[in-house]
Amino acid sequence: MLKFIFRRTLIMIPQIFILSVLIFLLAKAMPGDALTGQLGSGDVDPERIEELREKAGLNDPWHIQYGRWIGNVVQGDFGKSSVYQQKVTNLIGDRVGNTLLLSASILIVSYLIAIPLGIIAGRWTHSWADKMIVGYNYLSFATPLFVFALIMLFIFGFMLQWFPIGGSVDIRADKGTLEYVISKARHLFLPTMAGALLATFSTIQYLRNEIIDTKIKDFVKTARAKGVPESKVYTHHILRNSLLPIAAFLGYEITGLIGGSIFLESIFSYPGLGQLFLSSISSRDFSVVTILVLISGIAAIVGTMLSDIILSWIDPRIRID
Amino acid sequence: MRKMNLVWLLSLMLVLSAFLAACNTDKEESKGTNDEEDGKETAGNDEPKTDLAFPTAVTAQGDGMKDGSINYGLISDTPFEGTLNYVFYSGAPDAEVLQFFDESLLYINGDYEITNEGPATFEMSEDKKSITVKIKDNVNWHDGEPVKADDLLYAYELLGHPDYTGARYSGLIPMVVGMEEYHDGKSDTISGIDVQDEKTVTITFNSANPSLTTGFWAYPAPRHYLGDMSIEDIVESDKIRTTPIGFGPFKVKKMVPGESVEFERNDDYWRGVPALKSIVLKVVSPSVAVKAMENGDIDIASLPADQYLSAKELKNVELLGQIDLAYSYIGFNLGKWDADKGENIMGNPKLENKKLRQAMALALNNEPVGEKMYHGLRYPATTLIPPSFPGYHDFEAKAIEYNPEKAKALLAEAGYKDTNNDGFVEDPEGKEFKLSFASMSGSDVAEPLALHYIQNWTDIGIKVELLEGRLHEFNSFYERVEANDPAIDIYAGAWGTGSDVDPEGLYGRNAMFNFTRWTSDKNDELLAKGVSEEAFDAEFRQGVYKEWQALMNEELPVIPTLFRYSLTAVNNRILNYDIAAGTKEGWDTVAVSSETPVK
Amino acid sequence: MTINLGSETPVTESIQPKTSYTSLRKTMWLEIKNDKMALISLILLIAILLTVYIGSLLLNLEKITRIDVFNIYAEPSAVHWLGTDYGGRDVFGVLLIGAKNSITIGVVITLISGIIGLTVGLIAGYFGGLVDNVIMRIIDFIIILPFLMIIIVLITVVPVFNVYTFIAILSIFLWTGKARLIRSKTLAERELDYVNASKTLGTPNWKIMMFEVLPNLSSIIIVNLTLTLAGNIGIETGLTYLGFGLPESVPSLGTLVAYASNPEVIENRWWVWLPASLLILVIMLCINFIGQALKRAADARQRLT
Repeated sequence: MLKFIFRRTLIMIPQIFILSVLIFLLAKAMPGDALTGQLGSGDVDPERIEELREKAGLNDPWHIQYGRWIGNVVQGDFGKSSVYQQKVTNLIGDRVGNTLLLSASILIVSYLIAIPLGIIAGRWTHSWADKMIVGYNYLSFATPLFVFALIMLFIFGFMLQWFPIGGSVDIRADKGTLEYVISKARHLFLPTMAGALLATFSTIQYLRNEIIDTKIKDFVKTARAKGVPESKVYTHHILRNSLLPIAAFLGYEITGLIGGSIFLESIFSYPGLGQLFLSSISSRDFSVVTILVLISGIAAIVGTMLSDIILSWIDPRIRID
Repeated sequence: MRKMNLVWLLSLMLVLSAFLAACNTDKEESKGTNDEEDGKETAGNDEPKTDLAFPTAVTAQGDGMKDGSINYGLISDTPFEGTLNYVFYSGAPDAEVLQFFDESLLYINGDYEITNEGPATFEMSEDKKSITVKIKDNVNWHDGEPVKADDLLYAYELLGHPDYTGARYSGLIPMVVGMEEYHDGKSDTISGIDVQDEKTVTITFNSANPSLTTGFWAYPAPRHYLGDMSIEDIVESDKIRTTPIGFGPFKVKKMVPGESVEFERNDDYWRGVPALKSIVLKVVSPSVAVKAMENGDIDIASLPADQYLSAKELKNVELLGQIDLAYSYIGFNLGKWDADKGENIMGNPKLENKKLRQAMALALNNEPVGEKMYHGLRYPATTLIPPSFPGYHDFEAKAIEYNPEKAKALLAEAGYKDTNNDGFVEDPEGKEFKLSFASMSGSDVAEPLALHYIQNWTDIGIKVELLEGRLHEFNSFYERVEANDPAIDIYAGAWGTGSDVDPEGLYGRNAMFNFTRWTSDKNDELLAKGVSEEAFDAEFRQGVYKEWQALMNEELPVIPTLFRYSLTAVNNRILNYDIAAGTKEGWDTVAVSSETPVK
Repeated sequence: MTINLGSETPVTESIQPKTSYTSLRKTMWLEIKNDKMALISLILLIAILLTVYIGSLLLNLEKITRIDVFNIYAEPSAVHWLGTDYGGRDVFGVLLIGAKNSITIGVVITLISGIIGLTVGLIAGYFGGLVDNVIMRIIDFIIILPFLMIIIVLITVVPVFNVYTFIAILSIFLWTGKARLIRSKTLAERELDYVNASKTLGTPNWKIMMFEVLPNLSSIIIVNLTLTLAGNIGIETGLTYLGFGLPESVPSLGTLVAYASNPEVIENRWWVWLPASLLILVIMLCINFIGQALKRAADARQRLT
């Protein structure tokens, strides 16, 4: 087991290195740099722009720029956003909380919905409840996230006006008060529901299949034959086996959550990393884009590694693969 | 030093929000004016081309209720950047935040010229080279410290500092005596700035230039608040980002970075206690702006043009508008930029025939574009100086008419004839004539508009194709236009003019932003005359620019296509709000007639 | 977001072992015929495809994309069945062309990424060892990448952005799942007697792969391709919505749905965005139901018949 963990961690290092080179080259290849973007927003002097370019080292060969950049990144210096004129660390620091909060609540809510539904569908196969659940599953698979999110925003934000249409918190609420927490939750509600309702697909389907499969396995039959009550068979024998891997899948969800946050944050004007990413792309804020992709990539790499390790611990057969 | 005025690129997609930044120096915080100037401004609205004449001020006036509170919508796709200081900010959204709590020492009038109505008065020297600013006694920063002459000096020191990375070391700033030495690190002080006493400072420039009256920097920076930090630290410090101070009518009370700001009234404001108790500013996405106005979520917001039709239907909202300091145009790629010499070099035989350009201008049917696509918010442009400069815009200038027949005749006259009967003209040598047209993506109407123009040219027999068959994103569009990419023959762009009428920065021989690279001796002569010492005489200057507008309409290196209104929606409960340049109203006079927004 | 590649999908029926041999095509047809939803889906999908492709042949593209400034946001009428959009273009026409583009691009991406995935997976699984190891490391790496972000960056970076580059960019990322699947199945096949027998007979490796291993995997391949098709159409429309999809002159279903980001359009101009949204939903559902039936056909344990 230790050997597996060690080997699995070792693989991570070249992955992260290649990722960083790849991202850096991509960012360099973008048309225009952050200084071009400034042309759009202020009164500027072209000579001044050239002077700034030279000063920022934007005229050096790429490998020197990469060396400088990665050296700084390793030391925790992520550079400065030229649009926000602020350290990228601060910029990300301001927003990362919102994105983590959104991602976490999507995960939690989607599990809260998916696990009971998966169990019901698996336990009472072919019942009307099962059919409804499978139908919902088909729909959630087929509905594009952005269409669903836009409709949610329209109905609950504009028509019914139950929830705010943007932002992460009401400025009038003071930090630390109950009002503040409620305001945060109200702002979080729509993006969370839009994300979670469509994220239940794989969990429901996995659980349902697992339960159907386990139902007819020998150890369950034995338990039943011994007279263990049906509900206990489910809680003690079937669920324990089926639920464990779900927790382990968490790490694999990260890539999906990052993608989802890009859509959700831009639709609900929720100030997080996804929205920052889109705006940095259009303003050519090179340092921000690279760091965001790098962080997301590393998060996904680490998440996958953790999931692999947990899964291999649950089911040693995986290690051979 | 080549002079670069307040000139900047303007993307179609950013047009409305970005516009506020351009005019931040002038529009929002400016109050002093005289009635004559106002009269001129309305004259600008009487353009015969459009039936739309928006008021610039809300109809409701009066004292309203006490201690009201309003919500201001900052319409933007992205969070505001949060560099909340006039010296350092770069984005338009930041300027919108700044207007509430900070202002210029010198207000302006309807022609964007400085006046004595603001927190300071000024006097220009006999030789027109220096300006003496005298700050009024009761002008204090939000922390109670008085605004001093030294604070204005401090702003200049920041702007010219070798470590300053913002974009505002431009315009008149480098022309201050001794500024270049200071900027290069050769001197520790700026010799041209003389602080006479606590409230008086004289700033001397290298030459006499009429732009002094429109481009003078009068935003002080609080030395006592920021002075102990290095310039790099200031930009990143909370003292600019979350707890900035100014001396405007409102103070920053609380901030959620990038998202919203709560302002509370500054009881010590030099014009007196503001009427409203608080203002909450929040970022609202453009696509939902109208809905948010309808629901009363926000009281005031500048609206994107494509939402005008639905905004018009709102019963609880009044629409204000004014003509932007901007115009759209179609440019011809006529040469190259010689970076070493810093000069525009003409040379593109394909498009150098003036008659061809005139024919292409006559082919454009801009009237329905303004009326149908922009619902009247834009209307055919007549010259390259927009009517938002009522003193300089040539109201008599004949608009370039829509006349396809005349265009065809001109084309034939210039030798462009359809020799192989494919419906398109060939060039005078009989070779295939095809133009590639670059246009920006971004707004809803971007594509229909580009296709409309192509159809117009097709109608007179000129074959025009969209560059690479598609629209181009803002950054890459301007990068290629600026580099005079040979793949581009013509392109559709837009310019914001800034508040200085001098067009040299966009059309001068040495202007890098003169993207068409068109030059002429006559043009050089007129532009130089426009900023000469004689041009301090308004009538002389008007004459020069009138001649220049006529010259450009004849030569047509760019075809002016559309002028535009900017639109501000205001809830019916808002009183005393005016968006005109040089208005007497300010955020301190704005009040409300009821506790909650009218729905 | 769950960009679901649909490699695992719900089991709708319990296990009914089936032993009798029928040819793959026949089994597939039987499965579809006996599943009412799948049959309806198939008919509906064929109807949609015929309408879209024949319809867009009959339509004059230039006429539809021609801007009519006097006819902006017209309501549905006899002339414009689904009204017009902000450019005065006929929404019904744009819908047909958009659906054609979205479907064609989805299919092409699925095929290209399928072919790459198939080749790579076969090679990795068949040869095993070092080859397998290297290929799997590459696949692992690509799968981990923050897919949507990198695609958006790539789309901004490419000097020439058109339908072909769009397809190429998406295909670079979408082959890995298939390669993994094919590899694991090939690994299993490789151990079977028939492969060893051919090897001893001296049959070249590529022949064994192409003519012996591949046919045995065909059912899995078909199922996987069908299910990923739905996902790929979803990705294309999503990117178009964000503004990183097809160029504007190539309308797609995403272009029409994107109008819905304006609540005004959602409320008062349903004809612009709703038909496209419903069409996406219906196409995805149809493909999914058919895919499920095919999956059962491929997996004897789950067959209905």
